[in-house]
Amino acid sequence: MTLLRGRGLGLEVMFADRDFDVALTELEARLTERPDFYRGTPATAAFGSALPTLDQLLALRTVLSSAGVELAAVSGGPDLEAVAHEAGLTYSAPTVAHEELARRRALKPKRELKLSDAARSLVADFAGARADIAERRKRGEASVRRHAASPAPAPVPAPVPAPVAVVAAAPAPERPPETLYHVGTLRGGQALHHAGNIVVVGDVNPGTELVATGDIVVFGRLRGVAHAGAQGDASARVYALDLDATQLRIATSIAADEGKRKGAARPEVAFVRDGRIALVPFENSEQLEASVDPKRGGKQH
Amino acid sequence: MHVLRQTQDENQPQDAAAITGARNLGRAIVITSGKGGVGKTTTAANLGTALAQRGARVALVDADVGLRNLDIVLGLESRVKHHLLDVLDETVTLDDALVSDKHSDTLFLLAAAQTREKDEVDTDKMRALVQQLRERFDYVLIDCPAGIEMGFKNAIAGAEEAIVVCTPEVSAVRDVDRVVGLLGNRFKPQLVINRLRPQLVKKGKMLSVDDVNAILRLPLLGVIADEPEIIVTTNKGEPIALRKDGQTANAYHAIAARIAGEDVAAPTVELKKESFLDKLGAFFGGRRS
Amino acid sequence: MSARKIVITSGKGGVGKTTTTANLGAALAKRGKRVILVDADIGLRNLDLVLGLEKRIVFDLVEVAEGRCQLRQALIKDKRFENLSVLPAAQTRDKDAVTEAQFAAIVDQAAEIADYVLIDCPAGIEGGFRNAIAGANEGIIVTTPEVSAIRDADRVVGKLAEKNVPMRLVVNRLRPEMVRSGDMLSVDDVCEILAIELVGIVPDDEEVIDTTNRGEPIVLDETARLSAIYDKIARRLEGEVVAFTNFENQSFFGRLFGALKAG
Repeated sequence: MTLLRGRGLGLEVMFADRDFDVALTELEARLTERPDFYRGTPATAAFGSALPTLDQLLALRTVLSSAGVELAAVSGGPDLEAVAHEAGLTYSAPTVAHEELARRRALKPKRELKLSDAARSLVADFAGARADIAERRKRGEASVRRHAASPAPAPVPAPVPAPVAVVAAAPAPERPPETLYHVGTLRGGQALHHAGNIVVVGDVNPGTELVATGDIVVFGRLRGVAHAGAQGDASARVYALDLDATQLRIATSIAADEGKRKGAARPEVAFVRDGRIALVPFENSEQLEASVDPKRGGKQH
Repeated sequence: MHVLRQTQDENQPQDAAAITGARNLGRAIVITSGKGGVGKTTTAANLGTALAQRGARVALVDADVGLRNLDIVLGLESRVKHHLLDVLDETVTLDDALVSDKHSDTLFLLAAAQTREKDEVDTDKMRALVQQLRERFDYVLIDCPAGIEMGFKNAIAGAEEAIVVCTPEVSAVRDVDRVVGLLGNRFKPQLVINRLRPQLVKKGKMLSVDDVNAILRLPLLGVIADEPEIIVTTNKGEPIALRKDGQTANAYHAIAARIAGEDVAAPTVELKKESFLDKLGAFFGGRRS
Repeated sequence: MSARKIVITSGKGGVGKTTTTANLGAALAKRGKRVILVDADIGLRNLDLVLGLEKRIVFDLVEVAEGRCQLRQALIKDKRFENLSVLPAAQTRDKDAVTEAQFAAIVDQAAEIADYVLIDCPAGIEGGFRNAIAGANEGIIVTTPEVSAIRDADRVVGKLAEKNVPMRLVVNRLRPEMVRSGDMLSVDDVCEILAIELVGIVPDDEEVIDTTNRGEPIVLDETARLSAIYDKIARRLEGEVVAFTNFENQSFFGRLFGALKAG
């Protein structure tokens, strides 16, 4: 169930059936990723059958107002009214529609997800990356640390969360996060800059920029500009189901395919060989492992 | 295959009013594109007309401060006494500023100011104004200026939905893609493809609907073919949707029906049988001399 | 001697500013002039597309303004037209990424190494427009013979006149048969309303759509009707007196319904 939903006049924040503290942290992270996106929008908080404490309501209000969002009302069971009053908030009883929604949700079988260790670590990375970005935003810094070799970072669009309840809100790791994982199509004018690898599940439209110090993987069509190994790692690779980039860059090498592509799209991987960027179909990439010495990475060409 | 509607959450009851417990608020839809000259204003005027013809109460808002055109397209330029900024500055009431359409009596226009600038519009006040309009009208259609600057940001303030208009040209598709990215999921954008020329598409000299939507990936609301008639009606100030039939008028009526939630057949544009004059025009007009 | 810095603007979007900039620039380059085209439409860049140079963009206008590269590094030399270079806009930024002063400084830098700097202006009259005109000492107004376009052009003429920028007019996408039937304004009507010197009349040509999509400006084709027309505009800019040719010889309708000018 989504945390934030656009509803009628503004936002609805769903706390029903969630752990309050976990949800509040997620809310905070979301709001700081897009500092001005929600500014000026009123919000209501739906608690369902949960009963927050006065402190929790006040904390919620603070988190929202620091993003310019006014907590207009809270809805939930009758016990909520007193707490809402104490906090100086408007209480609204759940409408018939709310109750109907809640009933329908109760009927839906709860999704049981068994995550492998690898997937679990990805979720933790994801939470770590977001927390890291939120921290930096709070301090007024750019989302990604500036490095001399790479271009200045552009605003990072809010990654769409995977439809999974947060398994573990890992504390922000000391070292930079490994992989930025984005689900959804990236559109012209958007940019993802990341110190680490970038994985996009969706298309990357023309006019989009992906810059990673590590590898770039696009599970979809790559049509924008992709720069892997942005800090000079020439062993970095770019993978895509349909590699049709406007321009490819790996470390300090740049290439563009001026001609029209022949034949149907198939998964390909781009890498640097002898100072130039080459592409092979993904099925042939075992040859790649054999012929490219990973230790060559990092040399400037 | 064209996707007509996308619902975000299948549990979401159709009637937003029941959830908010509020009065029946009208729908606020911004008509935008990023690229200029693709037909936003023409679409706004014709869609507004088509909706009004179905009996809906429609308010058209021209948000292109300084470069107003919606009034011309509706033939109302001589009737405009007050404009958007007058209302936002509170020197006149909304009632005074709203101009009643010549042809449809449930259609009203709030014109832009011609001699002012876009940054004179206060975003919060704009949002509040759109709210006010939603309380009185079934549909509030906001004609957005070209670009992605302040004018665009003000035009989307207060809107809940978006219609993006695109022509089958590479530069238009890129610009529209940028705008769709900026709009995000909140506005549930739907696509109108304008100025399609089926003959050119057939010859491979123009992008097809599928080419456009391969990048934009939006639910398709309608496809309008390029017709000289449209320029004629625009210049005369008589929106083509006033007509009872004809390919373009029908296309706008179908779009209005879809907006209203009706299940209308997928949009197509027919390849007109080439007339003698068409063939002649192609032979002489397109010929290199 | 520093270059002529000409902004190509219109107010209304979609009337052909970018197409005009690209083709006029190419026509001037064909005549041996050193031409630099500057795309001022940050965030909605199209000039590179129209010239088929998108894949060669390494640096852009904003990076030059931010001092992260030199102008020469950002300029893309066109392979087909010698003497023609393009300074692309940034796509992932917004118009407030560059100030008027920064933009003007870049245009001046370009003016030192060229004969003509043509600035492709974004639609509208907001910040992007203000930046684009900040660099210019001349203007070319592009309009179509339609009421809304002319109204917008008029607004822009007013703004440039305030700054004492001399202007010329290009009437684009003329459809003679519609002028004949009274459904489109005539060139004379347009000139009367806008009251600035006419430098070109470009008829509507459906080939433009295809060539634009393919990134091959129409002046690449010497035999194209529009090629000759852009060449004439270039010559007029250079100070030559070139008559506007009759349409008569070129169109069936022209012959049937009497002379209509173009060129």
